[in-house]
Formats: sequence, structure tokens, C-alpha cells
Amino acid sequence: MKKKFLKFSIYFILLCLFVIMTGSNIFAHKVIIFAYLGGDTVYTESYFSDGKKVKDGEIIVYDSQGNKLLEGKTDKDGLFNFKLPKKDDLKIILNATMGHKNSYILSASEIPDIPEKSSYIPTYLPPSRGRIEEGGKALGKEVAEVNLDQIKSIIENSLDEKLKPMMRQLKKAEQKKLSFTEVIGGIGYIFGIMGIIMYFLSRKKEG
Amino acid sequence: MHIADGVLSAPVWIGGYVVTVGIAAICTKKMRAEDMPKMAVMTSAFFVASLIHIPLGPTSVHLILNGLVGIILGPLSFISILVGLTLQAFLFQHGGITTIGANSIMMGVPALLSYRIFSLHKRFRFRLSETIFGAVAGASGVFLGTLILTVLLVTTGSEFIGVAKYAALAHLPIMIIEAIITGFVVSFLMKVKPEVLEGEAR
Repeated sequence: MKKKFLKFSIYFILLCLFVIMTGSNIFAHKVIIFAYLGGDTVYTESYFSDGKKVKDGEIIVYDSQGNKLLEGKTDKDGLFNFKLPKKDDLKIILNATMGHKNSYILSASEIPDIPEKSSYIPTYLPPSRGRIEEGGKALGKEVAEVNLDQIKSIIENSLDEKLKPMMRQLKKAEQKKLSFTEVIGGIGYIFGIMGIIMYFLSRKKEG
Repeated sequence: MHIADGVLSAPVWIGGYVVTVGIAAICTKKMRAEDMPKMAVMTSAFFVASLIHIPLGPTSVHLILNGLVGIILGPLSFISILVGLTLQAFLFQHGGITTIGANSIMMGVPALLSYRIFSLHKRFRFRLSETIFGAVAGASGVFLGTLILTVLLVTTGSEFIGVAKYAALAHLPIMIIEAIITGFVVSFLMKVKPEVLEGEAR
């Protein structure tokens, strides 16, 4: 009897392993949300662990004190963007349907100090009087200042734009993926637990 | 079908744990040493089944196999599912840790009922009766699970009809697939090794 069960068990495990190895999707079923910053906008992306996008998922953003800052819904690609409300640890909660829920914390350390426009101090040396005179009569100091300001913001914008896909990839890669080891480990745990129970049950019988 | 952390309110998930411990205590008394290998195999199957996705329906769904576990293990299926869910929660973050109790009820109680439904086949003996009752038991495992899920989600303030419709729609493909799988496995086991099925002639 026991031998038969053992044979049956081995076949079953081999079948399970075959299914896991051949199936491309060995991700557990849950929802995942991650967020990254691009300029002063926070981009969030939500998906089920098998890659399906979370459509119409409810998103609520809290600050570190637990105050609700804003809420919204993901679009059909699981995306939701919002303007950075303040520099703080932002807790972004995704509430998909059917009891699926997850959260992501965008920590304050990831948010760079955003210079306020009014208190912005240009970090360049004022052009020398001599050059202006050389350049022509119309070129004044203000023109140069405005240009540098503009250049700075243009560079920042294009950098944000360029870095966005990289940030996205980075954040996505950070998400924990299910490894084959964990699956096998889990099966190992099960057999271990059952083995211990069996040991005690059979001892009780003898004693 | 796994409820994540933070979805249910505290009284509901604590209640879930209390009920789960109660049912598990009753089921533990039926454990025998010779059933353990079978239980280990079925727990592993249940543990792994949730990783197999079926890309159908509005949300993505996965196999549950609670009906099949119920048919093969009988009263022990509840403990098997409890162990499987606990490991899924800790290793895969699949379903919350606070909601292990509620999730066990959601999948374990239907497993016990599937076992009862399947054992009806002895009263109606006809050709393919095991296969048909197996398939019905497999489908009802998912169906009752969906019903319990709906009730649990209603406690969070969702509207019953809306959630029920959505849940039923999402799990319809899984119900059909599990009915087919359970039917096949049961008819195969009845031919090859009927003693594997709980309550059958040994």
C-alpha cells in the first residue's frame, strides 16, 4: 500500500514539475504596483503578476501621516499619473477588484528637491561687460539670464523624458519575482510537514 | 481568489481565523498516518495549481483545484488547503497573511462540500456516474468559493449583486476547466486506483 502511494506521489510530483517548467508563467497571482518620478509627475503602473494590466483599478495616495492626498483610477493600460503633491513618503495603494490589493511606497529620499521658481538662484557667472560690448549693442544681461534659465529647464525636461523608460525598467525589475526555487522549496516544506505529522501519528499507534 | 492583506476589516479576518482553527481541530482528529503521503501530494498539487494561469475573463484567473483536493482527501482537505495557503502567503505573497483564515474558509469549506457531493455518486450508480459527479464536485468547489468570496467582499462595503456578477463572470472559465480536470482525474483514479479516493473501497 505504502509503496503504491509512493509511486503515485512521485508521478504526481514529476507531473507538477513538468507543468511548472513548461508553463511560461510561474508568477503568483497578485497585483503589483510600482511608481517612479519623472519631473514633478509621479507615474504609477499596475499589473497582475501574470502581466495583465489592471484596468480601472482604484488608486489612493496617502502621505506619511496617513492623510489622503488624492485618488484616481488606472486607465486601460494600468497607468495612472499625478502631480507630485508634496515631498514626503507617499504611500500609493492599489485596490483592484476581487480582494486584490497592494501598495507601493515612494520614499521621500527618491524625490529630489524641486527648486521653487521664485527663489531660484542662477548658478552661473554673469557675463563680463567686455563680451557683451563685443557681441553687439542689443545683447543685455537679462537676455543671457533668461536663456540660461530656459536651457536649464529644457535640459531637465529632456532628461526626464529620456530617463523615464529607464526609471520604469529599474522599478519594474525591483519587483520581487517568483523563483523556481521557492516553488520547489514550498513543495519541500509540505512534504516535511506531512512527514513529521506521519511520524507522530505512527508513534501514537505503536505506543 | 486569494484575498490580500488590508482588504478585510479586522473583525472579519479574526473571525476567519477562529472559524478556521475550529474546523481544522475537528478535521485533525480524522488524520491517520497512512493518509499522510496522499495528503502531501494533494497539498503540493494545490500549492502549485495557483501558479497555473488561464488568460480568460476580465481578471486573470488560476486553477484552484479545491474540489479535487476535497474528493481525494475528504475531511483532511481542509488541513491540506490551510497548509497550502499558508505557504503560498509566505513564499509568494499570494493572498495576505492576515487573511489566511478567511482564505482557508473560502477554499476549504467548498472542498469539504465537494467531497459530500462526490460521495453521492454511490447512491446513483449509472455509467459514468463517477465522472459526472466528479465534474460537478470540481465545479461546485469553485462556485461555492466564489460565493464565499462575494460574501466576504460584501463585508467590506461592496454591493452584493455587483460583486457577485463580477466574481461569477471571472470564475466561469475556471469552473468549466476544473470540472473537466476533476472529472478526468476522478474517472482515471476510479479505474486505476479507487482506494486513493477517500471513502472508496480499500
